[in-house]
Amino acid sequence: MIRLAIYGKGGIGKSTVAANLSMAFAQKGFRVLQIGCDPKADSTLLLREGRPLPSVMDLVRKKEPFGLSDMVMEGREGIFCAEAGGPLPGLGCAGRGIITALEKLEEMGVYQECRPDIVLYDVLGDVVCGGFAMPMRQGYADHVYVVTSGENMSVYAAANICTAVNNFKKRGYADLGGLILNRRRESGEEVRVKELAEDFDTVILGDIRRSLLIPEAEEKGQTLLEYAPESPEAGEIRALSEAILKQNHLF
Amino acid sequence: MRQAYRIISVYTGDLSGACSALYELGGMTVMHDPSGCNSTYNTHDEIRWYDQDSLIYISGLNDLDAVMGNDDKLIEDITVAAEQTNPRFIALANSPIPYLNGTDFEGIARVLEADTGLPVFYIPTNGMHDYVRGGGLALERLAEKLLKRDQKNREERKGTEEENKGGKIRVNVLGMTPLDFAATSSVSSIRRILSEAGMEVTSCWAMGDGLDDLLKAPEADVNLVVSSLGMRAAVYLKETFGIPSVFGLPAEGIRQEVLCDLKRAAEDKKDRFPCRDLRGKQQEGEKVLLIGEPVTMGSLAAVLEKKRDCSVRLVCPTEDCEAFMAEGDMLTRGEEEVEKAFRAGEYVIADPLYQPIVPASCPFVPLPHLAFSGRIFLKDMPDLFGDLSGILPVTGR
Repeated sequence: MIRLAIYGKGGIGKSTVAANLSMAFAQKGFRVLQIGCDPKADSTLLLREGRPLPSVMDLVRKKEPFGLSDMVMEGREGIFCAEAGGPLPGLGCAGRGIITALEKLEEMGVYQECRPDIVLYDVLGDVVCGGFAMPMRQGYADHVYVVTSGENMSVYAAANICTAVNNFKKRGYADLGGLILNRRRESGEEVRVKELAEDFDTVILGDIRRSLLIPEAEEKGQTLLEYAPESPEAGEIRALSEAILKQNHLF
Repeated sequence: MRQAYRIISVYTGDLSGACSALYELGGMTVMHDPSGCNSTYNTHDEIRWYDQDSLIYISGLNDLDAVMGNDDKLIEDITVAAEQTNPRFIALANSPIPYLNGTDFEGIARVLEADTGLPVFYIPTNGMHDYVRGGGLALERLAEKLLKRDQKNREERKGTEEENKGGKIRVNVLGMTPLDFAATSSVSSIRRILSEAGMEVTSCWAMGDGLDDLLKAPEADVNLVVSSLGMRAAVYLKETFGIPSVFGLPAEGIRQEVLCDLKRAAEDKKDRFPCRDLRGKQQEGEKVLLIGEPVTMGSLAAVLEKKRDCSVRLVCPTEDCEAFMAEGDMLTRGEEEVEKAFRAGEYVIADPLYQPIVPASCPFVPLPHLAFSGRIFLKDMPDLFGDLSGILPVTGR
């Protein structure tokens, strides 16, 4: 089992990249578990065919007995989907919610029951507190991948995340697997992202062009790999998935 | 009100349980908290505080450190303290504030281990559970951290030890803390009982023995678990070293049965639960309620049922105890449920602080328990391995 965490600035396309990566892995025959680590609980939306999935924290909040099957749904291509969820917006502590949800999933045997080859944690925005570092703690992800465009704010957030990963090395946390360039413009973004990669002694593992096909696929509730499997964009995602598999000795 | 306490006390918390379990082992137990948990521990829960040294380290967490996540300060302070005091290990116990802000104790433990060269482990307490949970976790984590280093030679050792032990069954006593065994004679009593039965105490977790004794635990043939606080360590010893456990007290009245279980378990490697399975034989007679931790109280219930003409039900307000409950026993959460349980009894045997919620018509026999009333009734706390006639005076019809 390999465990990967996807981080990046809010709105940069982490969940889209994560869902498409899960689909790419699944289409190659791997058993995949995607866990959304965001109070919004929308990470696995594209994989669930519109079926509702209560978040772990929704279930915890009800204070009624529940089991693993209440928290985990099998989505398209057999991808197991779970959403950590969190407190209501403006209340409580979202970071603590992520910790509780991940502990609950583990306690209920999600890894033993689903037996995934690949676990993908899709983590909210920046590493704003200990809770959002949880997916990179020992026992969770082995590698962190940071999604970024070449825009200032995105590069800034990515640098913060890379710094956090480096800071936690002594604690035995996940290492930095690489950057994923999710372009916002037609050209000219790679220079800044290359610089960022050099600064943190890492690599750009994937380069996904800006495309209208992606929002179109989302409109249909599908991943790009299902909506336009022959498109160059789908090819870029498959190439990214292969680079990650290669890095983890699975390809 | 569900799960609330208006009149009676509450059981010692998980942090105190953890500190108590590790108190005599020469390690440094770190309470990462502002100091509230510590004052409760040394004021109410730790009767050895003034007589016996132990390294209890209070981090003095303040609001700014909690908000800013100043883990480096904690690590540096502990490292300095360890350099000055030379503990055998460092145990990090969580408390409500770092629990809520998600402090990564596992990661901090790895850094400390690298910095100090000492074994460091984390005890996942949070101040919201009881001493059975906290003490149990502490002994389990200690076993996981320190015993596994030495386990591979067990089979080799066993061969040579067979020659040395003179045929004696070697026993680990698990779950001994003053919280359940406050009488000072308790440790010598259990040692004497086992010795008279031709057995040998390999280690006592964790009163009267030091860390070096505990490290010999994998050499034992069987565990005698005298409180549910010892259950987690027992499970680890079974899973890792194949050592079976017997859960119960060799109390006067059921001593031979428990000792027999120890011998049988040492032979067939199967767990046994005399605290539960010796009970339920007596359905007639007065209805007696015993309240408390179920390995100790279940054993006393078995004594009562055997020696007296009465039926005993156990009221169990502590955590992680389901495995020890006999048919008809009650798990309770909160004062209201305990009060309701008391209404079903004709006699109640419990800590004196329960008496205000016992029906006036119901005879009450006080059985002080340190984990419930602290030091208040310390001088009256009996040796549960000794003469029980004075504390179980229920007479037949």
